[in-house]
Amino acid sequence: MAELTLRLWKDQVSHRLMILMGLMVLFLGFFIGGGLLARALPVLQHHHWDQLLFSSQWHPTQGQFGLGAFIAGTLWVTFVAILIAVPLSVLTAMFLSEYCPSPVRLWLKPGIELLAGISPVVYGVWGMLVIVPLVRDYLMPFFSEHFPFFPFVSENYTGFSALTAGIVLAVMVSPLIISLLEEIMHSVSFGMREVALALGATKWQMVKTVVLRKVSPGMVAAIILGFSRAMGETMAVLMVAGCAMGIFPHSLFDTAYPLPALIANTYGEMMSVPLYDAAILLAALVLFILTVAFNMIAWGILLYLENREA
Amino acid sequence: MRPHISVKDLSVQYGALTILNHISIDIPDKKITAIIGPSGCGKTTLLKSFNRLLDLQEGAKVSGQVLVDGEDIYDPGTEMTHLRRRMGLLSQKPTVLPMSIYENVVYGLRIHGEKNKSKLDQAVEKYLREANLWNEVKDRLHDSASRLSIGQQQRLCLARGLAVEPEIILGDEPTSALDPVSAEQIEQRFLALKNQYTIVLVTHILRQAKRLADYVIFLYLGNLIEHGPAEKVLSSPRFVKTQAYLEGRFIEEFPIAAELDLCGGAKQDFPFRFEESLRGLTEGQIFKTLVDNEGLLRQILDLEQGQGHKVLEVRQISSTQWEIIIEKRGIGYSI
Ligand SMILES: Nc1ncnc2c1ncn2[C@@H]1O[C@H](COP(=O)(O)OP(=O)(O)O)[C@@H](O)[C@H]1O
Ligand SMILES: [Mg+2]
Repeated sequence: MAELTLRLWKDQVSHRLMILMGLMVLFLGFFIGGGLLARALPVLQHHHWDQLLFSSQWHPTQGQFGLGAFIAGTLWVTFVAILIAVPLSVLTAMFLSEYCPSPVRLWLKPGIELLAGISPVVYGVWGMLVIVPLVRDYLMPFFSEHFPFFPFVSENYTGFSALTAGIVLAVMVSPLIISLLEEIMHSVSFGMREVALALGATKWQMVKTVVLRKVSPGMVAAIILGFSRAMGETMAVLMVAGCAMGIFPHSLFDTAYPLPALIANTYGEMMSVPLYDAAILLAALVLFILTVAFNMIAWGILLYLENREA
Repeated sequence: MRPHISVKDLSVQYGALTILNHISIDIPDKKITAIIGPSGCGKTTLLKSFNRLLDLQEGAKVSGQVLVDGEDIYDPGTEMTHLRRRMGLLSQKPTVLPMSIYENVVYGLRIHGEKNKSKLDQAVEKYLREANLWNEVKDRLHDSASRLSIGQQQRLCLARGLAVEPEIILGDEPTSALDPVSAEQIEQRFLALKNQYTIVLVTHILRQAKRLADYVIFLYLGNLIEHGPAEKVLSSPRFVKTQAYLEGRFIEEFPIAAELDLCGGAKQDFPFRFEESLRGLTEGQIFKTLVDNEGLLRQILDLEQGQGHKVLEVRQISSTQWEIIIEKRGIGYSI
């Protein structure tokens, strides 16, 4: 009898504990958002919000706190990175899961997982040593000669650019996305593949219509996870994006100054300037909201895809 | 009658493990052929060798020939997509694709390039009717197929297989996951379809084989033990192992008392050598004979009538060699 009571008691406690933890995580989000908002409030009271969000005038000593260029820089770099990383990851995962012989897969997978664990600084250094010269000496001259229109025109000849940051970010987040995608693709049942092939599908038709379709919700989830990371990534981006103040990027080859880089670069050296710290915390709040919004949209797509087919 | 599928000396191995052992058999056209045998004896493997789904199994090594309409499908030039669309497959566990009922039925057609909407619509109705599912789903064709009951899913799989207009239907224990009513429906479909299709049905339910089959193949441990018209094999099987299986008895290997190798050598010597080797045995003892031509094989099988010896098993062991296991009986001994 005593043993049963203990068991029931443990059941109750673990149940409650889990609810509590779940709520805490949820509240943590609110606390962070709320805390940032409270600290950013002074600057929001002194300046109109549309000036804060859309102006590119960032002159803290003159009391100008336009975050526009930084927000645009964040979106631009993330967008470029997505554009590169998604096809790269999907195709690599597809190769690993569907086409490569299993001994090769056995070797490649841990290798790719290893890449996911390398420190961002290392990616940053690699970006400076390899991607910056590549962009400066080859990509930029090539595109400005053959494609002299948006989004390839730029006056920035340094090689430190949104594209550079995008490439580095893409290479950085791809291993994570690849290893997740490969896992879910591989989990599609043999029976389902067999059905398609038995009806006379070619391997590619089978992969396209059965595997990719079956994993599309998981694919969205994996990509979100990768990009939540990309959007918040600081170090690697800071090292290769150029980070010139107050410029809206108009080209792949323009410099970009994303929010995380701004925060990391300036936090700690702005004490005497009025409203400076509030503006930086506003930058953090904006980044927070962007990340949450990005996740919510992706989550919506995920739900839609899951509902479409069980 | 011309066979639809003709298996010639087919062997399948996984590594060192032999799964099918020199199988030669003809599958009659527009009949239901049942492959029976205890589980693990290679029924699925044999079935999947017919449309080369066996190729998907890593490590499977296939030798021998499978002729479909006289064409060797293991020929390197075989176009797999066309071969496979000639055979509809129903697997043990109904497997619907992650899409709507409608899309499931037209999947094969789309794969093969059919885009015409009205043709697809027609196919959906036609084949869902043929699978006896139309009335149950006609109002929700665009619902996800995975919401159907398991029995409905299997009928959907049947419709999907029929939609590519195959000549052959392969069923791998298609009713084993179903409730009795759904199983009965699938069986009814098979009976209705057998005039238009050659049906090969793996089953371990003997009563199902009795109800449906025109022709029966009995496999045991990768060996073809017996095959023939259903009424013959199921009610008066020729070989001991088949009898044991049908009666639900344990299948025993035979204690071999002597071996006689008749390979090579002059044909006319054979009766003499055969009698010679039998002389040393007592009645009821079992011996094994190795022969390397089909004429001789037939001659020995005729002994059963002639001299009363009982042939217990005939097993092909290579493309030109057979092993015959015979029990010595007295002359005039009646069975
Ligand atoms: N992919 C595989 N690798 C190794 N052995 C296998 C594989 N598939 C089947 N087998 C073996 O082949 C034998 C026959 O299997 P199967 O044809 O499925 O038998 P059945 O359908 O009669 O139950 C079994 O012993 C099984 O373990
Ligand atoms: Mg089986």
